[in-house]
Parts: sequence; C-alpha cells; structure tokens
Amino acid sequence: MSGRPPSTRRVTGVAALSVVALVAAVVCGLAVGPTPIPVGRIVGALFAGVGVGHSTLSPLASTIIWQLRAPRMVLGLLVGAMLAVAGGTYQGVFRNPLADPYLLGVAAGAGLGATIAIVDVSGGLATPTWTPVLAFLGALVAVAVTWVVGGRGARTGTATLILAGVAVASLLTSAQTFLQQQGSPTSIARVYIWLLGSLASASWGSVLLVLPYVAVCVTVCVAAGRALDVMSVGEDESRSLGLPVARVRLIVIVASSLGTAAVVSVAGLIGFVGIIVPHLVRLLVGTSYRRILPISVVVGAAFLVLCDTVARTVLAPSELPLGVVTAVVGAPAFVLVLSLRRRAIT
Amino acid sequence: MSTVEVSGLSVRAGATTLVDDVSFNVEPGTWCTVIGPNGAGKTTLVETVAGLRRASAGTVAIDGELVAAMSERERATRIALVPQHPVAPPGMSVEDYVGLGRTAYHGVLRAPSAADRRIVAGVLERLELAPLAGRDVATLSGGERQRAVLARALAQSTRVVVLDEPTTGLDLRHQVTLLELLRAEVAECGLCVVATLHDLTLAAQFADRLVLLDRGRIVLDGAPRDVVRDEELARRYGMTLRVVDVDGTDVVVPVLSGVTAT
Repeated sequence: MSGRPPSTRRVTGVAALSVVALVAAVVCGLAVGPTPIPVGRIVGALFAGVGVGHSTLSPLASTIIWQLRAPRMVLGLLVGAMLAVAGGTYQGVFRNPLADPYLLGVAAGAGLGATIAIVDVSGGLATPTWTPVLAFLGALVAVAVTWVVGGRGARTGTATLILAGVAVASLLTSAQTFLQQQGSPTSIARVYIWLLGSLASASWGSVLLVLPYVAVCVTVCVAAGRALDVMSVGEDESRSLGLPVARVRLIVIVASSLGTAAVVSVAGLIGFVGIIVPHLVRLLVGTSYRRILPISVVVGAAFLVLCDTVARTVLAPSELPLGVVTAVVGAPAFVLVLSLRRRAIT
Repeated sequence: MSTVEVSGLSVRAGATTLVDDVSFNVEPGTWCTVIGPNGAGKTTLVETVAGLRRASAGTVAIDGELVAAMSERERATRIALVPQHPVAPPGMSVEDYVGLGRTAYHGVLRAPSAADRRIVAGVLERLELAPLAGRDVATLSGGERQRAVLARALAQSTRVVVLDEPTTGLDLRHQVTLLELLRAEVAECGLCVVATLHDLTLAAQFADRLVLLDRGRIVLDGAPRDVVRDEELARRYGMTLRVVDVDGTDVVVPVLSGVTAT
C-alpha cells in the first residue's frame, strides 16, 4: 500500500478510459451481429439522425440497427448502469463489500412475480405484459417486507436488515421454486431463461418503460456519494458529524431498489454486474464513493452491452443467457480483482 | 461561549440502569473529566451528552437548548465528538478525513466551500498534521490517527467537545501531546470540554474539574485535588491506591497485592 489515496490524475485517467470503453461498447452493440454492418455507415446514420449528413444504410440494415440492435444496446446501457451503481451504493450503505443489488430480496421477489406470470396457473395473465409488471411488483414487495421485518433500518443496525433480506429471499425463492414445478415443461424452460437474464425482448417500449426509473435512481445514487463517504466512519460517528443517517439510508435503499426492480423486470436476473463492477472501479480509483459511483455507472453500462454482444453472437442465431456471460466474464475478473487487491495490500 | 447543563440524567438499557440521576454543569473554557472504574457508565454518559443515546429521564442542554431536540446537523455544529474507537476508513486522505468535520456546514450534496477548506487547513496546521494531509488515514500511527480524530472534531468549529477515552492505545508521550494540544485549544478558543479518561494522574493534571462516577451515579464532583483522594478512589476502584505528591502534581499509584503500603 502506498499510504496515499489514488491521485486526481489517476482518477481522471480511469474515468477517460471508462468513457472509451463505453463508446467501444456502443459501437460493438450496434455493429456486431449476424448481419455485418460497417461501423462507418452506422456512424453516418447516427449523425444523420441528428441532422448531419445522409445515412447510407440500406433499409434492411437501418431496420436492424434502429429496431433491433439500438433499443437492445440502449436497454443494456440502462440495465448495466443501474445494477452497477445500485451494487456500489448498497456496498456503501451497508458497509459490506459482499453487498449486491439483490441483497434485500429484489431478485427473489422479481423471480416469484415473473414465475407467477409465466406459469400462469389461473390462465388469465398474458405473459409479455404481465411478466415485467409482476416482476416489478414482486421486487418492490420483497424489499418492503425486508425493510419492515428488518426494523426499518433503525439503530439496531444494518445487520438486521441484511438478515431479514436473506430470510425474505429464501422464503420467496422457495415459493418461486414450488410454483415453477407446477408449470408445464415449456413454462419451466421460460422461467429458467427469465431467471438467467436476457435483453432479447428489448424494444424502444421497454427502454421508455425503465428510462425514467433509471434516470432518477442513478442520479439519486450518484448524488449520495458524499453521504456514503461520511458513512464510511460508521453510524454513530456519521451522526455526530451531522449526517441524518436513517434518512440517507432510506433514500438510498429506495432509489437502489426501485431502479433495480425496474431493470430486472425487463431484463431478468443478471448477476455479477452489481458486485464486480463497483469492486473493479474501487480497485482503480480508491474507496471514495464520489468517485466509485459515477465511474461505475459508465463501466457497468459498457460491461453489460459488451457481455450482451457476446451473448447474442457466440452461438448465433441462438443466444446465451446474459447472466451466464456476465458470470463467465465476471467470476474470473472478480478473482483477478481480489488477487490484485491482496497484492496491493501486502 | 457555551455551557453544558446535564440535569437529572438517567439512561437505562432494559432493566439495567447505566446512568442514574446525574447532574452537572460545565462552564465555557472549562475542562471536565469524568473518571470511574469500568462499567461506571462513563461512555454512556458522554454518548448521551453528545446526543448519540436517548436519555430515559433528564436532559442535556447547551446554552438552554435541549440536545435531544436538535437535528443531527444542528447538533454537529454545537457538539463535536472524539469517540473511544474511531473508524479510520482505508483509502481516505487525512485532509478528507478532517474535512468530514465540515459536513454539517456544507451538507452532503455540495462540495466544501473555500471557507471550509480554509478551516480544515488551519486545524491541520495547528495540530501539526499538514505534512500528512495527503496520507491515507488508515496508514497513520496510533498517535497521528488520534490527532487526526481530534482535528476532525476541531474542524466542526463547535464550542463543546466531548471526548471518550481519547488516549486509548497511545504511549505516554503521545497521550500527553494529545492532551496538551487539547488544553491549548481550550485556552485559546474557550472550548467547553467533557472527557472521560482512565489514567487518573493525567485526568487530574489536565482537567479543571473531575466527576467521579460509580455504578452510574456521581459520587464526587469538584476540583482534581478534592476528588483524587486515595481512600475514595480505593473504595470505588476496589483496590489499594496511593495519591503521591510529586513536585506539586498528584500522582495516583496502585499498591500491588503483597506490597505493604507505608
């Protein structure tokens, strides 16, 4: 350990690199696929979209770009940004490096909601409409129950809240598994696909659905960076320094959970982004959440779009579940981060 | 200038009474140290004075305003706390750590103002921490870290500073250095200090007034010479103690078993 936090110059360098990665991810998200479309033409079409020059894309290529790849890429940006910043925020508010966006039961609640819609025991639910709605509601109900059972974030501490999250998640996962077993083989397969996450059903409609949640929740989480830095000295010290800890905790948990619920409802349960990205960023820019959170937004967005590009091209025309790709890329990256951190400490 | 008024204060945890009907006032420019054996309720008392614990009965007021009625932000501009076991977050520079003391002034949505930065720089200078400003606070030695914690409290620009065992883990030189720095602040700025200390000799040397606490109750309250009396301390600490005058300073010496006190 050098004994000094990373310099501003280094942080600026990392921020610039993450923006480069984001641009690369956007280009890959648009250009890479079974139908090759030259990057130059895509860039020309993008400029034409804002009134500069003419698009040289064929009608088919234009449809592929604007109706298939662009909404999927934009949704990937939103999902990745939200999961990464929510994970970083949870790690800050719970002062727990193992925290991820699903800590308080969002994943289990969304999984149960989606399973109810997909298995559709009553036969009255139209899957494409009801799956995101019930997933969203399930996620919010799960977090609300965790919050109440866990003592509403009172001074009993965050450990109670985390334990309540574990209990609620276990209960809801059991219910989801039971319900899944009652379904037909087709619905079981569809539940599995949903649980592993995918952007295959992305459309401009789904982008518009989650955009307001992501915009507001990401802004709130990033703005909480300074408060999370204060909270790094512990609850009592933070309060003695003038931080309304209970209020900050509530706001941050609501923003993280609401945004996560929104993206999970349209993209399923995508793992690893929320834990690996903030850790990777922390290793590069230090422990200040004022730095970690905004850079995590950019890195998370880039990471998910790149993973999705892999997911939809490696076995084309079939797709790999996105959660599998993020885990395959994320797990080794996580191990690498941990070993680098260990080396940095020793 | 601020006066701390503790009136009929009791703190209970379940059926256990930790602080029992405690009353005392601390005037501006006065250093009051609470002493007593382990479990006497010292930490509970100072944490309640600092507004971190809720009283079961009684009040703590600063210049007539109830601490319990203040918001966290308002309280942080009136009372600063040096906790017994401060957290030194890894990766945070000493300057940023001391700057946390300005949180109540600039809030958490705005960056510190030029005035905030000036105050932090001044405190770093006064406590001889300026050369360490860029260091990771978690890599400081024990003495440096305690100075950083004191600096953070002073950066809060409060008239009342509450310290809970601020010299824990420090060697004698660093204990004295830290307490001398604090004494200089009391003299220059008219601070009102409420502290706890285990070292009775240092407590007697640095405080204007001692409050001896036992089982949550005040058993003696007065000038150090009136409180540091061997028979009273021996009774409260449950061991034989001698108070020896060394060049006009009261030194408390434990008499070990098997050693005959003469």
